[in-house]
Amino acid sequence: MDFRLSDQQRLLVTIARDFLDKQASTAVAPAGMPHERGLPADVWREMARLGWPGLLVPQALGGSGGSMLDVVLLVEEMGRACLGGPYVGSAVAATALLLRGDPRARQWLPAMALGERIVTLAVAEEGASFAPDSLAMAVDAPGRLEGVKLFVRDADVADTLIVAGRGAGGLNVALVPRDRAGVTVTAVALMSGENVFAVEFRNVAIDTSDLVGSPGRGLDLLRAALRAGALARAAEMVGAAQRVLELAVEHAKVRVQSGRPIGTFQAIQHACADLLRNVEGARWIVRSAAWNADCPDAGGADSRAADTAVATAKAWTGEACLAVARRAHQVFGAIGYCEEHPLHRFHKQILASSVDFGDASTHLETVAGAIGLAPDAV
Amino acid sequence: MDFALSADEHAFAADVRRFLADHPPDRFPVDGMDAGYGSGAHSRAFLRALGERGWISLTWPRAFGGEGRPLMFRLVLFEELALAGAPFGPLAGCDQTAEAIIRDGSDRLRAELLPRIARGDATFWQGFSEPGAGSDLLSLETQASRDGDQWVIRGHKIWSSHAGISTHGLVLARTARGGRRQDGLTMFVVDNATAGMDIRPIRSLTGEVYHYEVFLDGVRVHRDWVLGREHEGWAQLLRGLDTDRFWGRFYKAPMLTRVLRRLVDYANTTVRDGGWLAHDAGVRRRLAAMATEIEVLRVLFYRIGWMLAEGLPTPYEAALAKVMADEAGQKLAALGLELLGPHAALPPSSPWAALAGEIQHLYLTTMGHTIAGGTSEVLRTTVATRGLGLPREPRART
Repeated sequence: MDFRLSDQQRLLVTIARDFLDKQASTAVAPAGMPHERGLPADVWREMARLGWPGLLVPQALGGSGGSMLDVVLLVEEMGRACLGGPYVGSAVAATALLLRGDPRARQWLPAMALGERIVTLAVAEEGASFAPDSLAMAVDAPGRLEGVKLFVRDADVADTLIVAGRGAGGLNVALVPRDRAGVTVTAVALMSGENVFAVEFRNVAIDTSDLVGSPGRGLDLLRAALRAGALARAAEMVGAAQRVLELAVEHAKVRVQSGRPIGTFQAIQHACADLLRNVEGARWIVRSAAWNADCPDAGGADSRAADTAVATAKAWTGEACLAVARRAHQVFGAIGYCEEHPLHRFHKQILASSVDFGDASTHLETVAGAIGLAPDAV
Repeated sequence: MDFALSADEHAFAADVRRFLADHPPDRFPVDGMDAGYGSGAHSRAFLRALGERGWISLTWPRAFGGEGRPLMFRLVLFEELALAGAPFGPLAGCDQTAEAIIRDGSDRLRAELLPRIARGDATFWQGFSEPGAGSDLLSLETQASRDGDQWVIRGHKIWSSHAGISTHGLVLARTARGGRRQDGLTMFVVDNATAGMDIRPIRSLTGEVYHYEVFLDGVRVHRDWVLGREHEGWAQLLRGLDTDRFWGRFYKAPMLTRVLRRLVDYANTTVRDGGWLAHDAGVRRRLAAMATEIEVLRVLFYRIGWMLAEGLPTPYEAALAKVMADEAGQKLAALGLELLGPHAALPPSSPWAALAGEIQHLYLTTMGHTIAGGTSEVLRTTVATRGLGLPREPRART
């Protein structure tokens, strides 16, 4: 075992911290004022210049050939800066899916690596579940799409949607241009200040050339995207919780009551100790899961293990980081209740990330199966 | 980063599993209570079997009769033993004492004790706490005074695990006064057979004996049996305590994994109120949540082990992980009792007890875990001050 970051990883994190600290004032949506595009275009261009959208993309396709471990290190820094935007959806989840696709699908990656093209996933439906077996929409090619996908991120800036649904021979994923006839996109604001979208498909034509991979073989592709997305959202929560911890400790050191800093009171010390426990636990379970997801998956068994590792990390991290935010409110006292105080922004970001790419229930059900609990009789 | 065991470590884990298959743990006679930490019951016979295999001295330098294996092998050994529920109770104490003797012991201490430890013949209790010195250990009153080449110890130690069935105690006593409270303490290795020792059992809430209290009345110890330097016992203790928190809890995650597996089997095979327990959404979710927590623990403990192996400082990490491990254990045991339903109230020894009473026994013993080796309150303060740099609480004037 080795828990050290490589020199390259340390450099990635240092550059990210430096860049994001400088951007924080502009990149982060002011409280109560959601950015129309999630992230100012110039910040996205700068991120592209740093090569971040291409982190997962092989060098031959214009990226830097990084790993999921690299991704979670970078996204942790983004979460620490409360940075919204299409990075996780496009550069992580959609990229992970297309990487496993056929050569035609991989042709999309160079433009994505440059940040010039943004692709988003349309998975959850009325049932609001990211579990592949919960999907009802039919995706057959040639055929027609009918129905609504919910909680789609970045549909305002993405020019392409990856739509997952049931096909005749198994799960299919199709690449659908957002401007294809019959596609309607409606924004819904999240508490975090970001938008999600309801995407309605009415008689949308799908051709076999729209499918990623062969018909009926989309499940592994979708699972790769869900793993990558869940890991990135988990890393985002770790970063946000890390920032909450820093702010809470700083507050406890300088806020004086009854003649001494409140950080000298055991009630506050113990609360802060629990914040650190949750942040460190979350950080290392996420890194460990990312490492597992990076292991070459030689087949069903291995990707099953990666699914379990990711589900474990996402479920624990969501609960742990939400607990960090809630407990921090108690450390800050009344000031944390104010809109101008940053705490609620991080809290709401954690909340939004905790339910994206599968909430705790979905992931715990994956873990329940993995530890051998007999499947429900239903 | 690399979160997997190396090929050598995997091979060693397989060796340990083979050893356990050849030496089924339940066939070894047990001579001391399993206190639920994960190291199983106290079995001198099992310890000797490990000694025969060379695994007590696995990581000692070759010059001291060890195999010179890297520290990670010891973690692998603990993990496999705990997963199997083996009775290796005294092993961690032997490891830590041997490590201290190798580092700081006199030549005589090394020559007389190391071979006995390696064979599984010498085991140790800790004589730190006293009736008036618990979390505030520095208020201890046991004293030792010099008489020629010997020290003469008088005092009263308590909460010493397995003291009555061990061979030696590590006794912390005041040897000089004046100066700061942490100065003038000395750590002694005391043979249980020395004249003046009176070791009395304390029956625990399970009805079994785990702790002892020890009265020392003019116990004579040669200077060669001082561990580390005279009057510098506090530094010796701190080094030991921090590693104690780590080594004393490393095997908790694999132990909890074993218990979780039993509970999964129980849920899969038990019908309650007309349905399988395993089909109950709440049961599934809570057992799965425990599995995630155990996995987090495992990663955190392996990380600390790696830090120790790399010689990196761990100012608060072991304290943080210990609190988490002990609270996770309490949570799993409480969840286990809930799954047992009306069986939960049966004593572990009841002929009606499900899962051989293991869950009730664990539940009761876990009540002591958040106290022994540093209470969760003291350790949270350690994490806050040493890990986060929060200012210390002003000390009460006495």
